[in-house]
Amino acid sequence: MTEAESAAWRVPPRWALLVAVLSIVTAEVGGASMARFKVELTRWARDAMLARPAVHGLVGVRDVDERILDEALVKFDAGLRLFHMHAEGMGLVIIATTMVAATVVRAGAVRRTIIALLTTGGAGYPVGYLVWSILIPSYGLERAKTIAEWLVWIPFGSATILALWWLAGLIALRLIRP
Amino acid sequence: MTRLLAPTILAAIILATTITPAAAHHVGAYVPKDNAVTTNFKQVKFSVQAKKFDVALRLFDAGALRAEMHAHAATLPAGLEAGTRVALQTGDGPEVERRLMVFFAALARDLALEADRRLAAAGATAETRVATGRKFLEAIWRYYNLVDFAVAMRDNKTSVAVRLAFDEAETYVKPATGGAAPADPARLRQPLQRIAQVLSTLIEASSTPPRRDS
Repeated sequence: MTEAESAAWRVPPRWALLVAVLSIVTAEVGGASMARFKVELTRWARDAMLARPAVHGLVGVRDVDERILDEALVKFDAGLRLFHMHAEGMGLVIIATTMVAATVVRAGAVRRTIIALLTTGGAGYPVGYLVWSILIPSYGLERAKTIAEWLVWIPFGSATILALWWLAGLIALRLIRP
Repeated sequence: MTRLLAPTILAAIILATTITPAAAHHVGAYVPKDNAVTTNFKQVKFSVQAKKFDVALRLFDAGALRAEMHAHAATLPAGLEAGTRVALQTGDGPEVERRLMVFFAALARDLALEADRRLAAAGATAETRVATGRKFLEAIWRYYNLVDFAVAMRDNKTSVAVRLAFDEAETYVKPATGGAAPADPARLRQPLQRIAQVLSTLIEASSTPPRRDS
């Protein structure tokens, strides 16, 4: 490797870039849909919650139930917003970190593994917010959160964190042994 | 055996540094909002405090407070709504405050009675009854809290009695932590009954306007 080559940034694999761009695209579509269908989404969530009073602990007294419904609707909306924000942000994080991995990590297998973890973890994690939000009307706040946690947030979030620590370690190693 | 120790420790550290932060995701915070009745109460109250009785009357006529007084007419002292309207028309601030205090005390009392009735009903699990009790307590406090100051100004003993009963009720619905006793729905009925009884006495005593000697 020449000095000019080693100083140049390398483009990550195209599939990783495609996943990152798709993450940003879904974030934008999600954000636009949230604004466009806000009333319909709220109505659907409210009806679904009213159809499952036991799940949400509704007691049939308006003064009590309206606060429960309001909290669930606020969290339902927050889930959609957080999906929009995280999918946008993680798309950029995927591009940046996979580019670092493609440039810095020499060993092919390690590089591919780190890129795969960063891409799947980064693209999967925001989906957890969408899953949480969609599950709230059917399963209630806490159960929906637990499902999203074990199905999406923990596995995909762990993949990203693991890959980032690995990458940080390799960069530190390169500082010691260039 | 010792050869396995290092990789095991390393794996544990890796898992601890990855899964723990991954599980600590941000899911937003919920701040309870005012409902239509409490919002309208605050609008009327602040207008009265600013001596803008025409504004207060307009807000009362068009707002949820009056509609709610209509809806609860059967359990409220006779003429509460009409009397509130007259007090607003004549610019009698203390009378408006007294009547609104009676109204919210009645709402809180009705919720306490309903909560007691629900807790007495057989069939539900202790966990469900605790959750139901907790939600009712939140709703009772949301209404009573609005008029506690007005109650304390007129009858400090009633205010203290309600707050003590409320504090006691809260201890029976809190989840057990440390050395605290576990949630107990059966004991929750007693403070709820006390809240209902104390508020009923207050409503009865406050339903006749005090004679003003000049």
